[in-house]
Amino acid sequence: MNPHAAVSLPNDCPRNFIEFQNVGLKLGGTPILENVTFGVAPQTIHCLIGPNGGGKTSLLRSLLGQMPHSGTIRINGACKIGYVPQFLEMDRTLPVSVLDFIAVSCQRRPAFMGLSKRWRDKAFEALERVGLKNKATRKIGSLSGGERQRVLFAQALLPMPDLLILDEPMASMDETGIRVFEKIVCDLCLSGVTIFWVHHDISQVRRVAHNVTCLNRSVLFDGAVGDVLTGERLMGVYSQEPVQNFVTSQHSAQLAMGAADV
Amino acid sequence: MFETMRASFQAMAHAGDVPTIFQYGFVINALFCAVVLGPVLGGVGTMVVTKRMAFFSQAIGNAALTGVALGVLLGESYTSPYATLFGFCLLFGIVLNYTRGKTGMSADTLIGVFLSISLAAGACLLLFVSAKVNTHVLESVLFGSILTVNDVDIVVLLCVTFLCLVVGLPLYNQMLLGSLNVSLAGVRGVRVKLLEYLFIIMITVLTVASVKIVGAVLVEALLLIPAAAARNISRSLKGFFGWSVLFATVSCIAGIIIPMQWDIPVPSGGAIILVAAAFFVVTTVLRSSLTVFNEARVS
Repeated sequence: MNPHAAVSLPNDCPRNFIEFQNVGLKLGGTPILENVTFGVAPQTIHCLIGPNGGGKTSLLRSLLGQMPHSGTIRINGACKIGYVPQFLEMDRTLPVSVLDFIAVSCQRRPAFMGLSKRWRDKAFEALERVGLKNKATRKIGSLSGGERQRVLFAQALLPMPDLLILDEPMASMDETGIRVFEKIVCDLCLSGVTIFWVHHDISQVRRVAHNVTCLNRSVLFDGAVGDVLTGERLMGVYSQEPVQNFVTSQHSAQLAMGAADV
Repeated sequence: MFETMRASFQAMAHAGDVPTIFQYGFVINALFCAVVLGPVLGGVGTMVVTKRMAFFSQAIGNAALTGVALGVLLGESYTSPYATLFGFCLLFGIVLNYTRGKTGMSADTLIGVFLSISLAAGACLLLFVSAKVNTHVLESVLFGSILTVNDVDIVVLLCVTFLCLVVGLPLYNQMLLGSLNVSLAGVRGVRVKLLEYLFIIMITVLTVASVKIVGAVLVEALLLIPAAAARNISRSLKGFFGWSVLFATVSCIAGIIIPMQWDIPVPSGGAIILVAAAFFVVTTVLRSSLTVFNEARVS
């Protein structure tokens, strides 16, 4: 499960897979991001943590080219990007089945004409991977929140990405779902996929990530998990609360403390 | 071409091969429009319902009122003032969407405001010009009239349908994904904003092309009701789309034939929508009584 054992970290690799350089973002005159500079090494799991309102999602959306940021964000080399959003907001009564959703995401042929041959086997493979093969024809609206997240995950694997971007996809998942999710992410990393993961659960970051960046408007710390994720540091980050609305700070700090004690 | 089609149907009607109403050229025109219009409105309707844009298409329908009045004022033929209709409705739809994007106002507030403005302007202008033209023109613009469908209308309808198919089918998935999750669509290379405008243009031209048959007031109902009825009894996009197309087409045809056959003096638009509404009522009853359609509610 733990990828540290199996993957030799590509420290010798001269180029980062993703590079953020002096990234800044202002929305309505309010600075959201300032001087954000760090890199994501290829074939690693890189987690982005930080208090709520600290700009994690904004940085992600800048990376996806959906925010008018300053500075540069470079993805080195051509690559296929898979993206798992935080949640799928959708009318529960809408007659869109799991397979329909996969078809809508991947293919050009109108989804009401069914999945094309090209994607059919791959779609079932991806659904099997996330444990939803037997619910392929169910309406998305009838799935639980966690199952819906797994559908979103399956869609991100079609086609198999070089870079997988996860935006706190596990907020509505139960513990079993989380473990399944972790396993797939680690397996993907082993097979050469770079994972950039916005995360809120420090204990899980310790468990799976190679590198971690803590963001609160600017980068607070950045480095290998073992080096930078110390209990005192996290306490420092999460107790100052320089940004308002930090709801989960106490919870995360407790988790951090617990993990540090172990 | 249309002349040949009409002549052959009329010959068949005289020979007794098809019902006698086919001996009237205008019935053949209207039914031809219905067969073309129904499937397109039904198909696009699934998108309107998914994207929650029913209210928007209502606003476009009301803009068509103003468009017709403007056309008559500017001296266009009052039976088919297409230049002004297309021009005004497209402008209306695009400005509305642009304002929504720029101000970030909630869609229902903004559409409500635009809808009221277009209705007010349309009412004033229409009553102003009604002094100049036959009041039947007013009635047919509002509620549709199959008597006035001519070759120009058929050509306009065919062109619009063709455009909608060419643009809508290859972009169906992308438009849908854009409405389900903007970020995800962006990652998949979907140009969400552009497609939003394209979709609005599609609804607008379809609305304008349907004004003659269904009428400005009711055309958006045909974008909404068949799709809403189909949603009641579908569990996948295939069913949703298929039923919606079927309901819309049957509504169009039945709405034209039934009043003709039984000499009921009602406008075609009203009759078409009432048939569609019947589908909606039946499917709603089915949905609430059969558990097979209720999986979303149970969990």
